[in-house]
Amino acid sequence: MPRKNETSRIPLPLRLAAYALLVLGLLAGAAGLLELVTDGHLHENTTLHVPWGLWVAMYIFFLGLSAGAFLITTLPYLFGVRRLEPIGPLALVTSLVCLLLAGLLIMADLGHPLRMYQVMLSMNLTSPMAWMGILYSIYAVIIVSHLYLVLRPTMVARVKEGTGPTALYRLLALRSRRTDAASVAGDRRWLRRLSVMGIAVTVLVLGCEGSIFAVAKARPHWFGGLFPLVILISALASGGALMTFLTAISTRLPAEEKQGIVRWLAVFMVSILTLEMLILGTELFTAFYGGVEHELHTWEATVTGPYGLNFWGLQIGLGFMLPLLLVLSPGSRRSTTWLGLAGFLGVIGLIGTRISLVIPAQLVPVFEGFGDAYKHMRFQEGYLPSTGEWLITVGVFALGCWLLLAAFRLLPLDGSHLVAQSKGV
Amino acid sequence: MKMKLTRRNFLKGSGAACLTAAASTLPGCSGVGGSEEASDTRWGMIIDPRRCVGCRACTVACKAENHTPPGVAYNVVLEEERGSFPHVTRSYLTRPCMQCARSSCTLVCPTKATYKRSDGITVIDYDKCIGCRYCIAACPYGARCFDYGHNYLAELTPPEKQPSPEYGENRQRAKGVSPMGNVRKCTFCLHRLAKGLNPACAETCIGHAIHFGNLADPQGRCLIHGESLQELLVSRSSSRLKEELGNEPSVYYLD
Repeated sequence: MPRKNETSRIPLPLRLAAYALLVLGLLAGAAGLLELVTDGHLHENTTLHVPWGLWVAMYIFFLGLSAGAFLITTLPYLFGVRRLEPIGPLALVTSLVCLLLAGLLIMADLGHPLRMYQVMLSMNLTSPMAWMGILYSIYAVIIVSHLYLVLRPTMVARVKEGTGPTALYRLLALRSRRTDAASVAGDRRWLRRLSVMGIAVTVLVLGCEGSIFAVAKARPHWFGGLFPLVILISALASGGALMTFLTAISTRLPAEEKQGIVRWLAVFMVSILTLEMLILGTELFTAFYGGVEHELHTWEATVTGPYGLNFWGLQIGLGFMLPLLLVLSPGSRRSTTWLGLAGFLGVIGLIGTRISLVIPAQLVPVFEGFGDAYKHMRFQEGYLPSTGEWLITVGVFALGCWLLLAAFRLLPLDGSHLVAQSKGV
Repeated sequence: MKMKLTRRNFLKGSGAACLTAAASTLPGCSGVGGSEEASDTRWGMIIDPRRCVGCRACTVACKAENHTPPGVAYNVVLEEERGSFPHVTRSYLTRPCMQCARSSCTLVCPTKATYKRSDGITVIDYDKCIGCRYCIAACPYGARCFDYGHNYLAELTPPEKQPSPEYGENRQRAKGVSPMGNVRKCTFCLHRLAKGLNPACAETCIGHAIHFGNLADPQGRCLIHGESLQELLVSRSSSRLKEELGNEPSVYYLD
């Protein structure tokens, strides 16, 4: 298998432009971080009514990507979707990177991030956020263990061959040297066990994440049993979308295999997105038909006003209609590139979904006229992210891209050697 | 007249006794983890919106007492205008923390930084609060504020340089130091209660619209104006905000 760099297919000017954008993104993040460290949350636009803004929306976006990508890696081991086995390493690294990005965003959102240890030291067992602290940690351990088991045989083989950064591989393989069939079979047994545990923990993580919002009876739009389910379904769509895109642009799989995987993932993505749209449709129907004031105001804030563009443009247009069109249209459904684009659009659309879930629900204050009770920006109704919030968010996205690029370059993620295994050879 | 006189005489004695009793049951308040009330105390307020003139003295008194920065107000007055000219009315609603018996904020706080004292007051341990703002999202009454670090002027004014007496901790607000970056809330002026004084908002109210006292005591009287609290509640119909949520606030509003 020639180790030709896949990205070399992308024209050089485009590649340079992408790198320049990513450097700018990191610089933007650094500027935002500097402002955050210097002035704390002073320049944030969140308020008494909207205590959770863009960073929290992006936190659940990245957590959804992480969980979704992880769930996709468990499909071969648990549900026999062997076809997806070659993208396991890529999906796991993506999952880990997204988990890290989610953690960074939540750290930025905290008033005293250095006291996060208090969640463990002085845990409040009735708080879904405290449960999240435990589950998040277990989830991280499971992903890292999974990644170790998936990458270990390849890294050990590369060390023996003397190809790639052998010192790094030796370190990451924890000095393991075995590549015999028994050790690989042992890894697979563990992978199956971890997959079972992983699915349980991931569902709990997502359920818990949803519960953080769902138990807040102060916010009728969040409150109720549907929210955790929407978070779970949306995470599956996230995983499908991101992996469709990443598989299309980055793996060095044989063209036929690659197309098969990308197509499977793209169909998976639009199926889940369709389910999500059905739920959204029933919610919209009951809200506007029933006309309960608070629900109605929240949905109005979601579909009209400043967040209307997010809803119709990102969530529905770019995030659902276009990917659906690309996956169904005869002209594009066999093209890895077009399907990859569908995946990319799906990811962008899911940013809109997360914003719709988190922000508009808070735009309706807990009392009518509350915004006039005290003249200050923190009491004013409405919310749009500040420059600082955008800067940090852009920085986190750029950091994620750099981390993934580094992982592609340094780790044996191509999975092409797994194609034979996935065919049961 | 006779009744008034009797009442006044009674209040002279019992009001003072109540204050003394309150003071004696609050022996020092050296921080939120300090001594608490006996469990037969449930501090609460009975607010008479008909007496409220919308002057917002309660908001100002609270801010002055607790040295709260811009954007942080523990007690605000909500305003509602109803009807159309010439049949128009405007009503005001003073909204301190409801000190709910079944508080949403304490339930969701991940670090137990906010918790209920046995006297019914919900407090915050600033050193445990990580500033996640979950309690703000969960509070149905909007009674919590995040200290974003605003100051009134670029150069700190003399009152801002003084430490806040909140929780008897005398913290000096400074960049990156609690309570900056923390969630803050009304404590019924716990530090004043510890000295046998009443909450600043209730004490200041020019219309005598805010009654304050021990709601758990069947004989409990307003520590400021002397009325029987239970009598106030039964003689006029009263309600609590968003009763349907089941938070059981300790603040009642007379109709």
